[in-house]
Amino acid sequence: MLKKIVFFLIIFIIFSCSSDDDGSYEPIENPPDNNGEEVSFEIDKVPYTTLSEYNFYEENIANLKPIDRVVPYELISPLFTDYAKKKRFVWMPEDVSATYNSSDKVLDFPNSTILIKNFYYNNVQPNHQKRIVETRLMFKKDNVWEFANYIWNNQQTEAYLDLSGSTTLVEWTDENNNNRSVNYRIPSATECMVCHKSNEKPIPIGLKPHNLNKTFTYPTGEKNQLQQLVDVGYLNSYPGQIETVVDWENESGSLKNRVRSYLDINCAHCHSEGAHCDYRPLKLAYSETIDDINLGVCVEPDQYVASGLPYIVAAGKHERSMMFYRMNATDEAVKMPLLGRTVVHQESVDLLSEWIDNINQNCP
Amino acid sequence: MKKTTILFFFLLLFSSVFSQDNCENAEIVNAGIYSFNEINGSQSAPSNCIGEYENGDAAEWFKYEASQDYTLTITTDLPENSEGDTRFHVYTGTCSDLTCYGGDDDSGSGYLSVETINVFQGETYYIVFDNNWNDDGFLFEIIENEYIEPLLSFTTQPVTPEPNGNTLGAVDMNNDYLDDIISIELNNLNVLYQQADGSFVENNIPTGNATNNPTWSMAIADYDANGYNDLVYGGSNGVTFMKANSDGTSYQEIAGDEYVFSQRTNFIDINNDGYLDAFVCHDIAPNVYYLNDGNGNFTFNQGGIGDSPTGGNYGSIWTDYDNDGDVDVFIAKCRGGDADIKINQLHRNNGDGTFTEVGTESGLADPVQTWSSAWADFNNDGFMDVFVGASSFADGEHKLMQNNGDGTFTDITAGSGFENIVSTGIENVAYDFNNDGYVDVLGMGGEIMINNGDLTFTSSGNFILNGPVGDFNNDGFLDIINNDQIHYNAGNDNNWVKIGLTGVESNINGIGARIEISSDLGTQIRDVKSGVGFKYMNTLNEYFGLGEDTSINEVVVYWPSGIIDEINNSDINSTLIIEEGESLAVANFSYKNISIYPNPTEDYINIESKFEIFNEKFEVFSIQGKIVISGEISSSKKIDVNHLSSGTYFFKLYSKGKTFQRKFIKK
Repeated sequence: MLKKIVFFLIIFIIFSCSSDDDGSYEPIENPPDNNGEEVSFEIDKVPYTTLSEYNFYEENIANLKPIDRVVPYELISPLFTDYAKKKRFVWMPEDVSATYNSSDKVLDFPNSTILIKNFYYNNVQPNHQKRIVETRLMFKKDNVWEFANYIWNNQQTEAYLDLSGSTTLVEWTDENNNNRSVNYRIPSATECMVCHKSNEKPIPIGLKPHNLNKTFTYPTGEKNQLQQLVDVGYLNSYPGQIETVVDWENESGSLKNRVRSYLDINCAHCHSEGAHCDYRPLKLAYSETIDDINLGVCVEPDQYVASGLPYIVAAGKHERSMMFYRMNATDEAVKMPLLGRTVVHQESVDLLSEWIDNINQNCP
Repeated sequence: MKKTTILFFFLLLFSSVFSQDNCENAEIVNAGIYSFNEINGSQSAPSNCIGEYENGDAAEWFKYEASQDYTLTITTDLPENSEGDTRFHVYTGTCSDLTCYGGDDDSGSGYLSVETINVFQGETYYIVFDNNWNDDGFLFEIIENEYIEPLLSFTTQPVTPEPNGNTLGAVDMNNDYLDDIISIELNNLNVLYQQADGSFVENNIPTGNATNNPTWSMAIADYDANGYNDLVYGGSNGVTFMKANSDGTSYQEIAGDEYVFSQRTNFIDINNDGYLDAFVCHDIAPNVYYLNDGNGNFTFNQGGIGDSPTGGNYGSIWTDYDNDGDVDVFIAKCRGGDADIKINQLHRNNGDGTFTEVGTESGLADPVQTWSSAWADFNNDGFMDVFVGASSFADGEHKLMQNNGDGTFTDITAGSGFENIVSTGIENVAYDFNNDGYVDVLGMGGEIMINNGDLTFTSSGNFILNGPVGDFNNDGFLDIINNDQIHYNAGNDNNWVKIGLTGVESNINGIGARIEISSDLGTQIRDVKSGVGFKYMNTLNEYFGLGEDTSINEVVVYWPSGIIDEINNSDINSTLIIEEGESLAVANFSYKNISIYPNPTEDYINIESKFEIFNEKFEVFSIQGKIVISGEISSSKKIDVNHLSSGTYFFKLYSKGKTFQRKFIKK
């Protein structure tokens, strides 16, 4: 039985593909038998010194192939992190499950839940190989979320616990054959906390129903990700109607909803009630941005940053908009988001500009 | 259709002018409404009087000749322009030599422009609309209002030569006590040395690529006391020191390994050992500081001066709020959410290198979202008050807090004038811009609030964004530099004195010293600070306005070492340079680091010190300057003086590059 599930998961991985998941796994003809393999999670001993101690992955761990009960998920609209690709998983112990709170609130996870997020690049120079940079964990202990971060060695055979923060140069060739380079920032625990908090208490960000509620092509057919969590036993239930974000890259969505979706995952962790910058007028959670005021449309900024920027979003004029100016900046004291990116995410800036230029309104 | 209608409307009602394509052909305008159809003049606007963005490639030129003094309003904020986007500059001078006098982009509704300037009889002003945003024509109005004497006036000129990099500092870098202009690029330090005639001489000093850039703040002081100022850069991921070599011609980077999300940086002698330490506000963790071992080496410390686990520390300012002779630190704090982290803190210096947080008992524990506060004795009662500038009104508004002199503060915002200010900003600094003897406030997103002398303030009506503050033409009136332009303070008839310090036992910049000046208008105090406001590094000279007073009764400097200098009969409207110990006060004072006892003595003197002096060299001089004893301090820290004849002697101790001199009497 267990063997069957593992096989199923492998197939799932092979077929999964999304904007930040390159689906680069080679099909395995004879999947290894990891019958009996279990995640190791001793609450009093974590975080472990090495990533392999958790036993999340089959050998070789660089393939990021999860064992049984390490369930992959992806977000409809993901966070931009200097073009890093990501693979995300969730694990819970037996006999516990998360509960649904509301569409825009992170699922209410039980103690000992582990969220696993791997950051990697493909075609990294000099040998055009995949390089996994870091694996970030959040786990829940005594009802408090804790952070752990594992930095991968050059051989890609192990990742080591390091919460002190560092930078590493990544040079790679992207899908369009452009050579790119970033001085990639691996966050310290204090940096993790900047985004992952509400009223100074740590929280996860991505696992909100409105960003998970999508159909996914499993080997057995199409299935909703939330339904998958229910079927695995990780989620009690979820409602039939969920206000859901759109894939910001999918041009079938409205410009505004695409922008709202992008801002929700990239900005709302600071710009919402109880968050790092809730004293600023922007409120960027998807559930709030139906209101143009919360999006900053024709709202004057509190803080002068440069001349010629009278509104956060100057309807019809992206070049007069503080939001555009900051998202298009790399100066540490000007750029938004403040953390998590060192280069401009041109595609999202283009989308933002297009939306702003098409707002048919004149700021007073 | 719409465009045609508007054009028709223009032609029908207003004198439409077409020849204003360049300066020479500028159309003369007076009070009234004017229009033009398109911005297509071949001569684009010369220097940028507004700041960022370009001036476009075409312009429309108008010329206003003042028939008498007026307060003139130039506006495009007219109903007919409701969807327009305008931008204009005002110049004085001749067509071959135009100087910025004003200008505006978006002060009107929408993207329209409004500027009010003072014009003077017989002068010519060029009003130039550029096409940076678009070529569309529009209406503009010139309104001649009765001339109102401004509380402050400034003339704006581009910095020449143009600085390279981000202009962050206004500090003397070559020891002539003239404020220089410091701009920073990743691999270059650009210094414009102020000359006696007010011009600048440029020097670019390659620094190599800095590990951390001063994106959040920069501070300056000579922390290794080699005679040349050093810099500290507050970056997002850490702190970089740029240390000057022995003649100030090159800089060596010393970058801390530690992760620091820097905000305000300061140089300050935290443990009062005579050597400058560095303090850095941490946005997301407890504050950090770097203790100087006396040889210019820093040791990283975290904890003890603002320990909120997730930070929220934005603007640190070091000043002596309780007049106990050591510097305390106020931390302007900011953070979303309902946690206590946003509450401002005041850390009282216990005098032994430790600090006690007294925000609540002092009355300064305020949740207002602030990035910086402006400290000064606003009512000249001898105690430092504070203006806490809100960066957002989400958790409270701007506050003026009066120091009661007993360690507590009272909110006196109501009726102070600050309650009327609706703009916000992250920079707030305190200087006496009109030299009337009462300290004003610059900040709140561009306001200058003039102190009326009775703890009420009036907006000067100028709108000048914060930037480094210094005196860039040595006229005793403080100027402001931003966006590569100097806003020269036009000054007035008030008298002033500028004071520069050189520490000997104390740190060489005299940071942390209290300067007290008394004249007929009262007694004014300043604490010398490296790092005020949020981002910039302002002059290390202290500027005192004297109003109509024509003489100074006394200048007293209370140095961090405990030494007190008293200077009488100093000149006004000039620079007074004071070296520590040059004019020792007659009154007794207690040294902080080295003291000798008993005094007078018969047999021996004991040396008491705050730091280890075993084996350090010493000499004892007679009053005639002859060395009568010399040697090294023994473990007993006692020196036998039994054999000396009766009289006055000087004990000199040489330790860590400093000289400590004490006078004693042999009975």
